[in-house]
Amino acid sequence: MAGQTDMELIKDGVRLDGRKPDELREVKITAGVLDNADGSCYLEWGNNKIYAGVFGPMECHPRHKQKADRAIVQARYTMAPFSVNDRKRPGLDRRSSEISYIVSQAFEKVVMVEEFPKASIRVDMQVVEAHAGTRCAAMTAASVALADAGIPMRDMIPACASGKVNDVVVLDLNKEEDNYGQADLPLAIIPSTGEVVLLQLDGHLTPEQFEEAMDLATSGCMDLYKIMRDALDKSYGGKK
Amino acid sequence: MSEESKNNKKSENSKGFVLPGDLLETKSKPGKGIFRKDGRVYSSVVGYSNDRSGYMNVNAIKGRYNPKVGDKIVAICAETGPSVWRMDIGAAFNSTLHHSESGWKVPFGDTARFLSIGDAVWAEVFMVDAAGSHQITLKKDDCRKLYSGTVVKVEPTAVPRVIGKQGSMITAIREKTNTRIQIGQNGFIWIDGKGEDISKAQKAMETIDREASSEGLTKKIEKLLEK
Repeated sequence: MAGQTDMELIKDGVRLDGRKPDELREVKITAGVLDNADGSCYLEWGNNKIYAGVFGPMECHPRHKQKADRAIVQARYTMAPFSVNDRKRPGLDRRSSEISYIVSQAFEKVVMVEEFPKASIRVDMQVVEAHAGTRCAAMTAASVALADAGIPMRDMIPACASGKVNDVVVLDLNKEEDNYGQADLPLAIIPSTGEVVLLQLDGHLTPEQFEEAMDLATSGCMDLYKIMRDALDKSYGGKK
Repeated sequence: MSEESKNNKKSENSKGFVLPGDLLETKSKPGKGIFRKDGRVYSSVVGYSNDRSGYMNVNAIKGRYNPKVGDKIVAICAETGPSVWRMDIGAAFNSTLHHSESGWKVPFGDTARFLSIGDAVWAEVFMVDAAGSHQITLKKDDCRKLYSGTVVKVEPTAVPRVIGKQGSMITAIREKTNTRIQIGQNGFIWIDGKGEDISKAQKAMETIDREASSEGLTKKIEKLLEK
């Protein structure tokens, strides 16, 4: 984070990949791609490629994690060894356990957990190719997979990051901007209420820049929400 | 919420196809697949809204089986205890079949002699409690252990399509494939007959499951079975 570089990441309001500061990368979402999972989703976001699968509600294991009055969401974020340039050692590490934890917390806010006491809802996110912004992309994919599994929810959660490069606040950082930029702010909201369910910040932002970054990320989330809805509409809405 | 997404939601609504969090304009009583907030009704699942019969329901496209008392189901033994069997019924939790509900005289610890892991039964749900646990019984009507045959699993939401209007679909499949079929409300379907016939019926079930929300299914299946 906040790496030093002479690279001009943004010039005359145009970024390295030709986007404007408030533009998302191209997002493609397909729901229900896996037969064995209760619900699934494949998402391509720029060069990110992510699969999400959902099982449940089912009996919660280990039993000591059960809650007598509600279900818990057990999310698991993993990156494939070949998802990054240097081979990633497979399995959970500090970063992926952190992401798994915050994603579980976020989804417990929207999934109607009180309907399934003692149960567990398992959400597995596999990053097949990573190109910055995978935690947001994984969450978005997991939201669609949860809806696809028929799990009752109050809303779907879109997640999207904003950040700062060359002192300009921009939406949805790509790999270069993430590595050499000045700040990264992943955000997930509940679109119907505007509640924030995930917010992190790496790097430095002034209070004004923070406000700007929040607004930008929020509008990015709303755009993404529309793409998520269209994906589910395309998979299931055309029938009957 | 932005103005645009509000409009978006309304247009979805008129089509009957709804997503989680969509507002449902209704004066009916709240039914299933919905939640209430500030006196208004919202969809909680992906599905088709239905405002007939005085209740606002959203019929989910997918989802686990939600056991109801009186449902006839096909259950598969998953685990045996000293006096109970734990049965897989496709719900969130395994169901309990107590030896006293089996109709057999089971000596303590000898449950596996009557039903071992993988065996299927035709049973009825007779108790569901608020904590989500449930029990099934074999002591009702035609409930019994299912010998031979095979069990096919479809989405519980597709069961009405498998049965068809007044049983038109299932009658067609039974006649055309010459098989014995029992459809559980949980989406487990027991099929018995000759090997070839079973696989034919199985194929039909899988097709229905895959295309559960399309029209003219009965005709399509009849055509498939005539091949």
